[in-house]
Amino acid sequence: MPLLEATALVGGYGGADILHGVSLTVDAGEIVVIIGPNGAGKSTALKAVFGLVRVRQGHVRFDGNEIANQRPDRIVRLGLCYVPQEKNVFAGLSVHENLEMGAFIRTDDIGSELARVYEIFPALNERRGTRAGDLSGGQRQMVAIGRALMLKPKVLLLDEPTAGLSPRMIELIFDRIKEINRLGIGVLMVEQNAKFALSFAHRGYVLAMGQNRFEDTGPNLLANREVAEMFLGG
Amino acid sequence: MEYVQTLIYGIVLGSIIAVAGMALSLSYGILRFANFAHGDLLTAGAYFGFVFFTLLGWPMYVAFPLAMAVTACLTLGIDRVLFQRLRQSTPVILLISSFGVALIVRAGVQLAFGPDTQVYARGIEFPMQVGGLRIKPTHLYIVGGAIAIVIGLHLFLRRTKVGKAMRAMSDNADLARISGIDTERVIAWTWLIGGAVAGASGVFLAMDTQLHPVMGFRLLLAIFAAAIFGGIGKPYGAILGGLIIGIAEEFSTFVISPAYKPAVAFAIMVLVLIFRPQGLLSGVKT
Ligand SMILES: Nc1ncnc2c1ncn2[C@@H]1O[C@H](COP(=O)(O)OP(=O)(O)OP(=O)(O)O)[C@@H](O)[C@H]1O
Ligand SMILES: [Mg+2]
Repeated sequence: MPLLEATALVGGYGGADILHGVSLTVDAGEIVVIIGPNGAGKSTALKAVFGLVRVRQGHVRFDGNEIANQRPDRIVRLGLCYVPQEKNVFAGLSVHENLEMGAFIRTDDIGSELARVYEIFPALNERRGTRAGDLSGGQRQMVAIGRALMLKPKVLLLDEPTAGLSPRMIELIFDRIKEINRLGIGVLMVEQNAKFALSFAHRGYVLAMGQNRFEDTGPNLLANREVAEMFLGG
Repeated sequence: MEYVQTLIYGIVLGSIIAVAGMALSLSYGILRFANFAHGDLLTAGAYFGFVFFTLLGWPMYVAFPLAMAVTACLTLGIDRVLFQRLRQSTPVILLISSFGVALIVRAGVQLAFGPDTQVYARGIEFPMQVGGLRIKPTHLYIVGGAIAIVIGLHLFLRRTKVGKAMRAMSDNADLARISGIDTERVIAWTWLIGGAVAGASGVFLAMDTQLHPVMGFRLLLAIFAAAIFGGIGKPYGAILGGLIIGIAEEFSTFVISPAYKPAVAFAIMVLVLIFRPQGLLSGVKT
């Protein structure tokens, strides 16, 4: 049984449904990428998994628990953490404080997680005291991912972690995501840099108009003519 | 010399407004509505001080922290009874409700203590003469107490986990929730801290002037002006805002009747809202 399993999700923001039966799975230690055109419902699908969008039908199971429509503080306790697409750092707090806030619910010593995040992102180590709002886009993304790592998650949900970054920074962030994955953490991420992301993903989903269109291994999706023509820009 | 004397009065009044404004601004940043009951929480704090200090005769260093603690509990209690039920409501509904709370608190004070003015201690306090200036010991207590509260609040916000979570929530409440921060707990702490600081400001105000059931409400305009001056939701800005408004109010007595002092705060608030609605200090990093 997969660690994270969303089955036939239907739901939206209160008005018309945005998701019309989206299904996703993530196994332990897997990197899974969601691609699709703008407005396809990729972000909405992640939010639905994390309880931020009302799920009218369908199930979300994580590590043996039903988590559809649950409160985020309960979901993070189970080991599923989420990094939103925008406004994903506390701009007025320092880098270090941002990481501490990621561990708010923990009452034990967070020293080893802090050390691990600074090891994965050495650039943050040098800027511990800097306000997150003063960082470059790439470093802000590192803070956002680092914050989500503070609870020792089993699976990380990332919404476009490389949006708006330079090619060099995109490569660096993907490299760090692979590193995080090597620690045994599953990753479910939405990505616009589809070809690059699929090149190292274990599996991928193509969403369009709130539904699954394709799903396959990363290499197979890259090799699929239809997917390439419609969603990867030829 | 007359100007320096006025400046001293201005700093004393400004310290009171600054501390009260800081608490108002802090709670706005987290609760996202303008709490019109804040002035009457000052009144409640002042009268709690009256009970402990004047009626029970306990020393001020006992009465003062007790007044803070009881005001904090009252404030949290009001949240549990009323505001907690309205958590999902729009700011306008919360604002109107806080107006209702203001009236209830004021009426409660008036029922318990009557409509007349009272003082903490009868008799005349002899001012110290320092180089031709008159400085009362209470002035020193008020300014010293205000500085201690500002430092205490600063350390709380910077050093403690709950304090940092309060800043985080004020920054980005959605992200706080996503991170698993227990926002209800943060809100409870915000009311407790806000209430305690309001209680302290109330005792300062009573030491500086007299007790009266509308004493806090009369200062509410100046407190809002201070908070808006510094950029509402940014507690550090309110310190400067409070001092400037306090000093401006005292200096205004050279040109207009003292009865119009509150109009000065009003004028400053209107000017700030017209020309720099985000607050004079917005963009300044704290
Ligand atoms: N907060 C919201 N309230 C109402 N509708 C929303 C909200 N957010 C998104 N939508 C709508 O839901 C649909 C899907 O949006 P979503 O953000 O999930 O797309 P996406 O696939 O992530 O697109 P992008 O690539 O632009 O990020 C869109 O039609 C959008 O207008
Ligand atoms: Mg999106």
